[in-house]
Amino acid sequence: MSLPLAISFNFLTAWEFWIGVGVFAGIYGIFVLGLQLNVGYTGIVNFGQAGFMAIGAYSAIILVVEVGVPFLLALVLSVLITMLIGVLIGLPSLRLRADYFAIATIAFSEIIRDIAQNARGLTGGNQGTISLELDNNVFFTDPWFKVSDWISDNILDPIGLSGLEFENLPLLIVVWIALGLLALGMTMLIRSPWGRVLRAIREDEDAARALGKNVLSYKLQSLALSSALGAIAGWFLAFNLQSVSQDNFEPLYTFLGYAILVLGGMATFGGVLVGSIILWTVLEGFRFLDLPLSADKQAALRFMIVGVVLILLMAFRPQGVFGKREEMVLGD
Amino acid sequence: MTEARANGKPILNVQDVHLAFGGIKAVNGATFDVREGSITALIGPNGAGKTTLFNIITGFYKPQAGEITYNGESIFGKPPHAITKRGMVRTFQITKALGAMPVIDNMLLAAPRQPGENLATLLTRRRAVRQREKEIYDHAYELLRTFNLESKANDYAATLSGGQRKLLELARALMTEPRMVLLDEPMAGINPSLGRRLLEHMERLRSEEGVTFLFVEHDMEVVMNHSDEVIVMALGRVISRGTPQEVRSDQRVVDAYLGGSGETEVPEGPPTPPSADGGVQGG
Repeated sequence: MSLPLAISFNFLTAWEFWIGVGVFAGIYGIFVLGLQLNVGYTGIVNFGQAGFMAIGAYSAIILVVEVGVPFLLALVLSVLITMLIGVLIGLPSLRLRADYFAIATIAFSEIIRDIAQNARGLTGGNQGTISLELDNNVFFTDPWFKVSDWISDNILDPIGLSGLEFENLPLLIVVWIALGLLALGMTMLIRSPWGRVLRAIREDEDAARALGKNVLSYKLQSLALSSALGAIAGWFLAFNLQSVSQDNFEPLYTFLGYAILVLGGMATFGGVLVGSIILWTVLEGFRFLDLPLSADKQAALRFMIVGVVLILLMAFRPQGVFGKREEMVLGD
Repeated sequence: MTEARANGKPILNVQDVHLAFGGIKAVNGATFDVREGSITALIGPNGAGKTTLFNIITGFYKPQAGEITYNGESIFGKPPHAITKRGMVRTFQITKALGAMPVIDNMLLAAPRQPGENLATLLTRRRAVRQREKEIYDHAYELLRTFNLESKANDYAATLSGGQRKLLELARALMTEPRMVLLDEPMAGINPSLGRRLLEHMERLRSEEGVTFLFVEHDMEVVMNHSDEVIVMALGRVISRGTPQEVRSDQRVVDAYLGGSGETEVPEGPPTPPSADGGVQGG
């Protein structure tokens, strides 16, 4: 008799699977660069990153579809709007103790989601932004698909990467170029005198204050930059999904971000890239496993596996794949 | 010692400062000044309000009433970073070495006027950033050399011993280019030879660079032998001030240590020279 579980790993050889994993890993990699800046380098526990991602995605889409702002300008404006909201949220909440700040940010991100769900005229509610686009007959992702088609026709087709299974390859390329550049930029920032002040605040706020640093100002800058990264991840999510709705911004995604952070290691931007690939391979891989389980159970099982991976990591490599053990142990 | 007292004009002036935590009047009308170029000790039994007063002067606590002027300018209610930028820096009772940062980074961090600490000028004035970084790097190494910490420059600060951390904290405070340094129990928990080195540094900085020191200390030998002036606090007020000799013979000081707080701690006179009177040596 054959095994009761006939698990097929065929998906692992499919281009489509890896391109899908790569796109998500790239998008959430950008998302987690922001968390790394906040948590790993400034010591502020931001649980509202999904909220910033939502503001970035929604404001870009609304500007293009309902206000008629040109696509590129809308992308830039969406980042500025998100940063502004980040500063407004941070001004009162960053004065709180670290744990209360964490609670305030998760509340903020849920408020954003509630607004997205209920302000239907503005956001399309649960139908998602596609309903707005249909009403206005303006499609946010059209300019992106022009770019995508151009990349396919001029770069990918000539080297034989054409066809439906490579449809999303241009997005993968663009997202990872953006992720690479942003990770490099963040690494340079953190090695600068500015980054040195952030690390000092992570170590001991009072010491930084006593040495003449305006701690609140630096924390606000850290939060503003991280919200900008969230907004950029939000654009790419909108490119990938073509229509976003509130359930794309559940707190779950912030928590997955933290899982990536722990996997890759604290205080390393390179680790974020690796952590994101590992997490999304596991999450997406499970979707394709042919288990004798209902779809619900299988979806739940994915997160159990992520939990097991995290527990094993804590037991055997608490600093994550790339984290510096010294910075963790010597912290206090 | 008396010379410094006679010549120095007040650099720090604390007038009738009050701060209560609920019903506890931690600082209850403290008034004193510190003369420029002096080494002034702040003593008093436990709970007298010395550390609270330190926190008020350096902006970590906001006082409820009073006035504080530093260098002729009011610093009342100013945030800590603004006070440090005016040239007054502090250390902490429990050292705050930034453990997961190398010793050299601890030093570089404290330097003022680094345009690279501002995001805008970091990107637009790259040459100035590099040049300033080189300047402060040289200055930091020079200080580490005088404090015998040069060999530790690239080690994480957490790997230093307790005494070395105290030295690092003082060296780091000096990176801010202060005119006045406040030290909260600099001798606590360090071995005597490092403690002596710390005192030598204080006296050298006072005489060579005119740095003013105000320090809280429980080690009476240090207070009596190394300070120009002593300010005595009890129950949130200043009850006595003067030269070490004057303070030692002040009956109010004796009472504060023996009576008020029920502490057994008694200020002891220096072993040499023998004190003129046994005023505070009772027991």
